[in-house]
Amino acid sequence: MKQRTPWTAALVVGLALTAAGCGSASGPGNSSGGSSDKLVVWDWKSGDAKAAGYVQKAKADFAKKHPGVNVEFVAQPFDQYYTLLGAAIQSGKGPDVILFNGGGQIRDRSDALAPLDSYVADDKQRLAGWDAFTKGGKIYAEPVTLQGHPIYYNKDLYSKAGLNPDAPAKTLDEFIRSCGAITQKTGAKCFSLGNKEGVGIQFWLSSLGSAVLTPQEYDDWVAGKRNWSSPDVKKIFELWKQAGDTGLNTDGANSTAMFNDAFASFNSGKAANIIGLMSDVGHWKDFAEFLTPEKVGVMVAPQVNPAAKPSLPYDGGIGYAVAKWTKDPKLAADLVRSLTSTDALKAFFVDGGAIASDTTIDTSTGGPAVKTIVSDVKNGKPALHVALGSKTVDLMGRLSQQLLSGSITVDEVLQQLAASDKTG
Amino acid sequence: MPASTAGAASSRRNRRGSRAERLAPLVLLAPAVLVIAGLRLWPLVLGINFSFTGDGDRNGLAVGFDNYLTLLGDPLFRTALRNVGLLVLLLPVAVAIPGLLATFIYLKVPGHRFYRGVYFFPAVLSPVIVGAIFNLLLAFDGPLNALLGGLGIGPVDWLGDPDVAIFAVVGVHVWATFGMALVVFLAGFATLDSSLLDAAKVDGASLPQTIWHVIVPSLSRTIQFVFVTTMIGMLTSMFGLVYVMTSGGPEGSTYLPEYYVWIQQGQMNQPALASAASTALFLIMLVVGLAQISILRRAGKED
Repeated sequence: MKQRTPWTAALVVGLALTAAGCGSASGPGNSSGGSSDKLVVWDWKSGDAKAAGYVQKAKADFAKKHPGVNVEFVAQPFDQYYTLLGAAIQSGKGPDVILFNGGGQIRDRSDALAPLDSYVADDKQRLAGWDAFTKGGKIYAEPVTLQGHPIYYNKDLYSKAGLNPDAPAKTLDEFIRSCGAITQKTGAKCFSLGNKEGVGIQFWLSSLGSAVLTPQEYDDWVAGKRNWSSPDVKKIFELWKQAGDTGLNTDGANSTAMFNDAFASFNSGKAANIIGLMSDVGHWKDFAEFLTPEKVGVMVAPQVNPAAKPSLPYDGGIGYAVAKWTKDPKLAADLVRSLTSTDALKAFFVDGGAIASDTTIDTSTGGPAVKTIVSDVKNGKPALHVALGSKTVDLMGRLSQQLLSGSITVDEVLQQLAASDKTG
Repeated sequence: MPASTAGAASSRRNRRGSRAERLAPLVLLAPAVLVIAGLRLWPLVLGINFSFTGDGDRNGLAVGFDNYLTLLGDPLFRTALRNVGLLVLLLPVAVAIPGLLATFIYLKVPGHRFYRGVYFFPAVLSPVIVGAIFNLLLAFDGPLNALLGGLGIGPVDWLGDPDVAIFAVVGVHVWATFGMALVVFLAGFATLDSSLLDAAKVDGASLPQTIWHVIVPSLSRTIQFVFVTTMIGMLTSMFGLVYVMTSGGPEGSTYLPEYYVWIQQGQMNQPALASAASTALFLIMLVVGLAQISILRRAGKED
């Protein structure tokens, strides 16, 4: 009896409180992040052995500035990350510092974050990739890595087919001809493609985009003025369909996962090229288990439209943001700055192979592919698919599967995407 | 613990016995009722209430039936509902397979002890493991297609063809879960009157006749039970397989309501729309559950 009374009372009070906040998604404006001598960080990286050195360096840097503050890293599983984070945001409490993917993932949730503009001014020159973490002119996170879509190729297969592995094709016609030679001599396909999750089309759009669209069209697209009925945009999707129809891709693309089956088949020499990533997975260091760095080449997209200027598509990859509900935003922002300090990012590059946002890091140890990528970053532009809303990207994934299976025409695809892009 | 303290207290104080006796049932029931009301019904009400609010810019605002209209207009959600219909249509197959196999084991086909163990084995595997195994087996360049190729049949993209993928996933689900139904059937057989089977044999009944006229009627309660549990299993526990095997694809053809709920909440950041989809799924389960209860009740009366 004695035990139950307070318990029941608590329940009744709890119900009453919830009833008061009833109908509101965010509930009453409570803000209980960590206390001011403790900061909680959520990410999906710190549990990874490759990131251990990075986290350690960042912690040390922060401890120097704020000796009394305890920092706790909570590594969440990535496939559940945004679901868990969504629950935290709904309840208005949770971690103080949050890792985000750039683009839609952070922009969709910027309401729950504190703008960092006043804290990060000193880092603006040193780091690249800010756009992916910016919404409405405000910065919501500091970039840690750069993410983009270079075309990697297997130099061994190029040599076997009698091609010069150090001078990859400059135009699409040339590229397709060399693919033909490779397939004839070695049996390997042109592209290793995984489109089970609909990711393949995102990589395709962004990687080939700069070789098809004119610079003006490209910049308009990124700025939000997208003309889905332009012949150049149509060309990108036609090429996607053609690549499927003419057997350039590895078999069964719609049932092959990009992560990591498509990368595995590139690794094992079943295809000569793959549109990959720069950080996290699917990059030069990820291939190294089977393809040593000197066997991996990198190229920008082969020219399709003579008026286009092919460039490396890249954006800020992942970055740390500060939650709106944290007690001391300045303190949390200092932790974010430590997490993007040069030393920490250097460790991330050396251990994990990620292309870090810090452009001052020495990357000469990484092999020829890294050198090419880092030099391409200077002329790179934001990737086309990152500019799209998450609903449109999801729809594009499904439509791209239909294009490969032949159950829809390119015109219908563009119509549906235009409609989805308009409504957001 | 509070309940037993309350019971002891009421027996000690006899003078106020009548009042204590009146209160005792309420006190004893209170913990269970509070748990059900506070942790089950109240969240359900909150969830339904939440489904009438908006997402994004309209966060927290009442939007009436907007979310439900969005659901009806979303081809993905319609696919998910159509797939639920397909599951209901495939239900007899999912029940017949363990039923037939249990019959063979009961009739002691050669090796029945071995099969009894083997059939149950997949039931102890997690859906993620099962999905990963079949991802390998059903891959375009996987062993099943190699086997078909050897027989001169062209490769089938089991998980990449929108007309085939949902059947592949349901097939794997049935494979992974029929062991449990099989055990229930075997338990049912244990209560079967063997003199009926002997009589049928004496009368010269063939195997199909024995199954149809003797075994099926005797096992009607068991069959109904398996129908109910299999249906619930299909509607609520295929998420893992869909997630691992197809991610809802290809072309969105293997979406199920729970997968839709997960995508909208976790990937699209639309919790209110996800709530509406959950409520719709709850209503479907309610209708299916009530229908099944009424069928069970009618069957009970016949007995």
